[in-house]
Amino acid sequence: MNLALFIGKRLLTILITVVAILAISFIMMRFAPGGFFNSATIASGLGTLALQNPHLYQEYLQMFEKQYGLNQPLWRQTLTYVWHSLTFNFGTSFENPSVPIITQLKTALPISALLAGGSIVLALLIGIPLGVIAAVKRNTWIDSVLTTLSMTGQAIPSYVLGVIAVLLFGVWISGILPVNGWGTPADAVLPIVCLSAGNIGVITRYMRSSLVEGLRQEYIRTAEAKGIRYWHIIWRHGIRNSLTALITVVGPTFAFTVVGTVWVENIFSIPGLGTLLANAFTSDDIPLAITSVYILSLMVMLMNLIVDITYSLLDPRVKLR
Amino acid sequence: MAAKTLAAPPAGLVRKTKRPRFGWWSRYRRNKLAVFGLGWVVLFFIIGVIGPWIAPHNYAYTNFLAANQPPSWQYPFGTDSVGHDMLSEILWSVQNALEIALGATFISFLVGAALGLWAGLKGGIADQIVMRLVDFMYAFPTYFLDLILVTTFGRGLAPIMFAIGITGWAGYARLIRGLTLRLREGEMVEAARALGSTQRHIMIAYLWPNVRNSMLVALAFGIPGDLTVMAGLSVVGMGLRPPLPSFGNMIAQAGTNVLGFPWLLYFPAGIFAITLLSFLFVAEGLQEALDPKGGR
Repeated sequence: MNLALFIGKRLLTILITVVAILAISFIMMRFAPGGFFNSATIASGLGTLALQNPHLYQEYLQMFEKQYGLNQPLWRQTLTYVWHSLTFNFGTSFENPSVPIITQLKTALPISALLAGGSIVLALLIGIPLGVIAAVKRNTWIDSVLTTLSMTGQAIPSYVLGVIAVLLFGVWISGILPVNGWGTPADAVLPIVCLSAGNIGVITRYMRSSLVEGLRQEYIRTAEAKGIRYWHIIWRHGIRNSLTALITVVGPTFAFTVVGTVWVENIFSIPGLGTLLANAFTSDDIPLAITSVYILSLMVMLMNLIVDITYSLLDPRVKLR
Repeated sequence: MAAKTLAAPPAGLVRKTKRPRFGWWSRYRRNKLAVFGLGWVVLFFIIGVIGPWIAPHNYAYTNFLAANQPPSWQYPFGTDSVGHDMLSEILWSVQNALEIALGATFISFLVGAALGLWAGLKGGIADQIVMRLVDFMYAFPTYFLDLILVTTFGRGLAPIMFAIGITGWAGYARLIRGLTLRLREGEMVEAARALGSTQRHIMIAYLWPNVRNSMLVALAFGIPGDLTVMAGLSVVGMGLRPPLPSFGNMIAQAGTNVLGFPWLLYFPAGIFAITLLSFLFVAEGLQEALDPKGGR
């Protein structure tokens, strides 16, 4: 199958998925306790206005009903909402109505993308060498230390690492790295490090097992018999073979990386999409909550698509499906 | 009569060798981390059961006169900003954590097993549908679905358990489908069928022993994952609604107070981290001991 057809098919899948997510979120949120897109709640929210100024009350009610399409049937509202979201027409949030959601996204999304992207790059830079070392020194104490460390990195979630980092750099050795806020490049260091720990673990373990497996192959023994230098064998015949399939390991970690971004942003008070999402959910700001979930999911799916394309370009044996 | 003589061979021909017990414990014991992890997990389960009885205070007992106290003999783990005894909070949290994690893992497993079996046995279009769903659930950050579910159904024990459970079945479905496919058409089953075994006998004697270990390992990996998600809900403020104590709430609270009151972090975060590691060590140990072939 050629590349264009493959991309088209995948984009269609992503579109269907996104429509499903938006519709489900919208319908579920509509029935959430407290009611949100709902004439009755708005009427009760306007409260005493009905007695004080019935005319103004009616006007408000009609304005909101028109704005959120509340007098239409549910399926119609859902379709309208999905269509608006797909065309990036998100409207305004409940909490911050003066700033359109799209404007809030424009400042928040690059921050989250930087954190997620930076953590994956860092994880590759650290994880690959560690995995190679563990494989070369397999069954020694170095190997077991590295394996245990990478398990630890995988097991302990980024928010726990985050609060530990805040304690470490905020209390014990304060003044070296900032533990709060966003603005300077130094602010990104700790969040990215905390975020990458899990992926470092995944990549280290993958590289180790893949390389250990690879070094058992016949062609490695042939290369050794020919008298090729050890590191040359490791690089040319071992690592390079493992690297292409590494992409299949990195892809599935994206979902978790993006969720980790949400956590880390909240721990370090970084004004990215994760903080936006947390504020939206805790303050029942439904339009913003659904939109941030939508954008973050879209980010994951597009990252996966890019990975699949890269994989097929790097490894000619891979057939696109 | 002839059949009877066949069924009872001369005593001398019966081999009296001891059937090797699975030997999994001797393999498991070799992994020191797994043994440590098992000890901690057992302790965690015990505290989960008796925690509320041995807790010196009720989790909701606030005492503003004793707010923000560092660890002391009276309050071994210190107190938080409204005077909750942290030791009691932790003892209660263990129970909540176990209830949600075990419940959610069980729900995920049931859904995954049902869908996996259906896909594996039916094949065809059913298989296609299930595997598409599985692919989707793998690539999609299901944590966000949890957030939406929890918003709709509330932030109590049961809704959180249900939300995490209903979104976490993809791995089990894939595993069970794979096992079903591999075993259904396997030579072992064919041979048993040729020998005239009943369907029931095949299930009990051939399929179950092959499936059991892989399932146990998958469940062991599932519990720490669900614990992580559960506490992660609290990080964005959507976890168990306070005053119900949970590790997530304590860690999130510690995150904002760590500069002034670092003991609020030491104990909850430390115990939570060791717990997650222990569950993972146990899972790794079980995988090595029970299911040496099954890589993840």
